[in-house]
Amino acid sequence: MTNDRNEHMDEWALHAYVDGELSREQRAEVEALLARDPEAARKVADWKRQREVLKSAFDGVLDEPVPPQLSTALRPRAARPRTSPWLAMAAAILLLLCGGLAGWFLKGEAPVTVADLGQQALEAHSVFAVEVRHPVEVKGDDREHLQAWLSKRVGTAFAVPDLTEEGYSLLGGRLLAASNGPAAMLMYEDKQGQRLSVLLATPGTDVETALKVEEQGKLIACTWQDGKLAVAVAGEMARDPMMVLAKAVYEKIEG
Amino acid sequence: MDFRRQLSTELPVLRRFSRALTGDPALADDLVQDCLERAMLKSHLYDPSRPLRAWLFTMLRNLHISGIRRNGRSNVVKTVDDLMDGEDAVAPEQEHRLAAGSVQEALERLSQQHREVIVLVGLEEMSYRDVSEILGVPVGTVMSRLSRAREQMRQMLEERGHTGLRRVK
Repeated sequence: MTNDRNEHMDEWALHAYVDGELSREQRAEVEALLARDPEAARKVADWKRQREVLKSAFDGVLDEPVPPQLSTALRPRAARPRTSPWLAMAAAILLLLCGGLAGWFLKGEAPVTVADLGQQALEAHSVFAVEVRHPVEVKGDDREHLQAWLSKRVGTAFAVPDLTEEGYSLLGGRLLAASNGPAAMLMYEDKQGQRLSVLLATPGTDVETALKVEEQGKLIACTWQDGKLAVAVAGEMARDPMMVLAKAVYEKIEG
Repeated sequence: MDFRRQLSTELPVLRRFSRALTGDPALADDLVQDCLERAMLKSHLYDPSRPLRAWLFTMLRNLHISGIRRNGRSNVVKTVDDLMDGEDAVAPEQEHRLAAGSVQEALERLSQQHREVIVLVGLEEMSYRDVSEILGVPVGTVMSRLSRAREQMRQMLEERGHTGLRRVK
């Protein structure tokens, strides 16, 4: 009688043989053992059949049509009816802001200017840039969808700028309620985790403005309007790097 | 490739794994749905150098276990030892499942630990190393569980005179 330990090792080798875990040399050794040990051969045959039986019992699942709730679960989050608490919060903040602005506008009946967008970009940036896990609604890896969706909602086609050269990768985007309609927010991040947001809106005018810079604490926003599209770039950084980024966005955003 | 597309490629296999693990088609698809939602939420935690399938299996298996804990719901009615004691171990709600096939029945009678190992290795053809990572136990533990699980399967299938076992290709 072999000792327990050896028997144990032998048995494990047999399992490993059945499961394809052995090298070519080890396989040859086991095959030699199987040829002279009918008990071992019986075990191996048994376990191989167990594998076959398991497969024949469950492989049918592979050919079943995928239930609709599972394909739905795989759709982009934005396509599913779901209210993000963050979006709701941002909407509330922007509504408050709108209230204030509306009061001010009623006084002078001034049109919405790029300065308003700059202010909104600063507000929105301070709300969303700190969100570590859900800074965006639609992820940046679905760029085409993001671009099509946000262009459609904002009402003007634009290209989601690629800021890789500037050291920023696209996290994604979301839709916001700005003072006079929907605004698209794009969020970028550099290697240090520093976030940059780009807010886009169509104020309803068709003008070309100069670049305007607004600072608020450590935050800075750069805004302009080029035709129908008003753009604000916001982040926490010094003026110089912001100007470089704003210029890059300006050059790359035209759809 | 887009992460969601990668997930949908793994979907059929994920459903098979879930079905074998739970033995219940509706429960299995609920688990898969939870797993997909969690995977998309945690996609930033996925390490692309590791196989996506193993990552999904880990997640689904953990969801299943926490589901069992939460609901006190387990398909493990009796272990093979209880069967060997001669007592009829068939619980009333299990009876309808017996018709579904003695393989499923045998799987359901294995303990959770034994069932998951035999499903991962025998059905999903995961390597011992991947199984050890999915279950969070050493490879030696995977092998000893596998060894016991296969012996129990053999006894059960033989006892029930499972035709599949005798049907040699």
